[in-house]
Amino acid sequence: MRWTARTRTGIACAVVALIFTAFSLRLVHVQVAMHNEYAALAAQKHTMRQTIHARRGLIFDRNGELLASNLPVRTVVADGSHIKDAAAIAAIAAPYLEMDEKELASKINTDRKYVVVRRGVAEDKAQELAKSLQNAGLRGFYYEPDAVRFYPNGQMLGHVLGFLDHDGSGIQGVELTMNNSLRGTDGFRYIERDRTGKEIMLYRGQEEPARNGQNVHLTIDMGLQAIVEEELDTAFNDLKPENAIALMLDPKTGEVLAMASRPCFDPNEPGDAKPEQMKNRAVIDMVEPGSTFKIVVASGALNEGTVDTRSTIFCENGRFAYGGFILKDHSGYGSLSVHDILVHSSNIGSAKMALMMGGDKFYEYVRRFGFGERTGIELPGEIPGLVHPPHRWDKLTITRMPMGHALAVTPLQMTMGMSVIANGGHLMAPRIVRSVEDEDGNVTLDKTPKVIRDVIPAETARYVSDALTEVVSKRGTAQLAKVAGFTVAGKTGTAQKVSPAGGYAPGEYVVSFVGYMPAEDPRFVCLVMINNAAVAPALNYGGTVAAPIFSRIAEKAARYMNLVPSLRAEPIGATPLALGNVVEDRSN
Amino acid sequence: MNSSVNRRKQVNPVHVPSLVRWLLIALFAGSAGLVYVYIKNQQFALGEEIRQVERRIREVRAANEVLLARVTELSSRRTLQQRVADGFISVKPIQDIAIARLTPPVEAVRDGVIRTAFNERRRQ
Repeated sequence: MRWTARTRTGIACAVVALIFTAFSLRLVHVQVAMHNEYAALAAQKHTMRQTIHARRGLIFDRNGELLASNLPVRTVVADGSHIKDAAAIAAIAAPYLEMDEKELASKINTDRKYVVVRRGVAEDKAQELAKSLQNAGLRGFYYEPDAVRFYPNGQMLGHVLGFLDHDGSGIQGVELTMNNSLRGTDGFRYIERDRTGKEIMLYRGQEEPARNGQNVHLTIDMGLQAIVEEELDTAFNDLKPENAIALMLDPKTGEVLAMASRPCFDPNEPGDAKPEQMKNRAVIDMVEPGSTFKIVVASGALNEGTVDTRSTIFCENGRFAYGGFILKDHSGYGSLSVHDILVHSSNIGSAKMALMMGGDKFYEYVRRFGFGERTGIELPGEIPGLVHPPHRWDKLTITRMPMGHALAVTPLQMTMGMSVIANGGHLMAPRIVRSVEDEDGNVTLDKTPKVIRDVIPAETARYVSDALTEVVSKRGTAQLAKVAGFTVAGKTGTAQKVSPAGGYAPGEYVVSFVGYMPAEDPRFVCLVMINNAAVAPALNYGGTVAAPIFSRIAEKAARYMNLVPSLRAEPIGATPLALGNVVEDRSN
Repeated sequence: MNSSVNRRKQVNPVHVPSLVRWLLIALFAGSAGLVYVYIKNQQFALGEEIRQVERRIREVRAANEVLLARVTELSSRRTLQQRVADGFISVKPIQDIAIARLTPPVEAVRDGVIRTAFNERRRQ
């Protein structure tokens, strides 16, 4: 071959062409064949999915008073790959984050790209920290928006509201039961950052906006709640019981107006509370109700025709031998009408009515009043109570159950039972959530009053109600439940406490009063239950301990609700507990 | 004859239309490149501006929510009750005589005053 100029030029061109072809092939390989792999690598390096946090819904009372809100805070995170001088950053950041400098330095001295340094940093502190680091020319800290739940009323209504865990999910109270409505849905956007960590807006990718949580309106009236809590606090401090419960609801709708238990806790600081303080005893505690339960047997016996309004029952002069045991009354009574059995709270009269009805019928009415099943209120952990069916009863059960022993009920069930009488025989479904609205104010859930069942006819309810009105009189056991200017109906209960060792604990009582007002057109039913008050046993009765508390609550509630008095106002005598030094010393 | 032919061969005339065409193409390509760079820079600048505005909105919104939370706390029932208890706020109960009722209550016999809060004073 002759190496002419043309040949040499041709070879040089061919070599150059081959080189460029090789480069082209490599480019095609990288850009086309390896596209997915390199695109993923690039995305991993620069693109990130940024979460847009949804705002948790607010909780309001029935009048729009804010009960649970959100406080914006920042979660400070570190990108280890951006940190060059961990010690210098720690020296500046430690005071803002209230952390130990060495601990902080060791935490951020890492190659990890995402380290949570501290949650819940106040907005202003986070901004100051960012400025300080910027002025010092240090980078690697980022500030993610977050929020902490804030309960402006502190302990008030704490059991009902509940609280959140560190992930922002409800773990007690309405926060738990309404979590799905309250939490909202987080959004996201894909972003790319430059080497300094700043977002490159030009490359902002797919974006899904957050859907904020819905606002929940409760049936609670904070005016009434404040009244109930104030009186319960006074009782808790004065009487030093193990626990105390007060509950107020509207018998016509089943709406809970106020609910409080003591001891209680501050949902802003749930970590400081003991488990005993966190129990919403109105729905998760069960007690033997005592004589308040006599309304069930009286209603059942009247409705079944076992007795009528003219019937009298011989009360054995206070000592009734049955099943090898003696059942006693507080006083020796002869023959009493159903009306008087309730007024005097006769155990023997109640037991005899149950015996006349028969176990199965009596049990049917116990269940019809809602005992032994959950009420379905929107609060977590509600228990059904304990009501054994007749085939599991012993010989004494039929005489003990009518007076509120040999079964266990929740305070809410007992209040709902009394609501049946106050509401003309209709058992309503109790509810604490009134409505749910989205952030634009559109109602997405509107709970209307729901009748569970008609337990007894209105005439029977009226008869029992008349008797309960007389319970709150000089003849009855709850004279101290009177409210000047109003007709009050109700029933006292005094039950010996069940001992964990078996049997009853001597000298320990759960005393209660459950009543409604005004008796002729009830606007509220209220239960007050005091567990083992530190008072002399001779005075530890529902009528002397719980009834005065009811009276004070009802009085203030009447003023708050602007109820018009229908009776002449007569002075009420001083309560025995207010007169003498009867509180036991439990300091030891 | 020959000399005139040789002279003509040495002449390299400038093809003005062709030159102008290529110059225009080059100018267009250059301008397109510059415009592209300018627009790209503008996009980045606008993006940065958007980022700053978004950040500012976030900060203002957060500051607003902090203030709202503070207002909520200060106007909460607990705080107001505490202020009443401390004597910071003085609340006087409305006297019965100052209440006008659409349905007049039954008149009391003793002193002509209807009370709904009798036993409060019995608590001491």
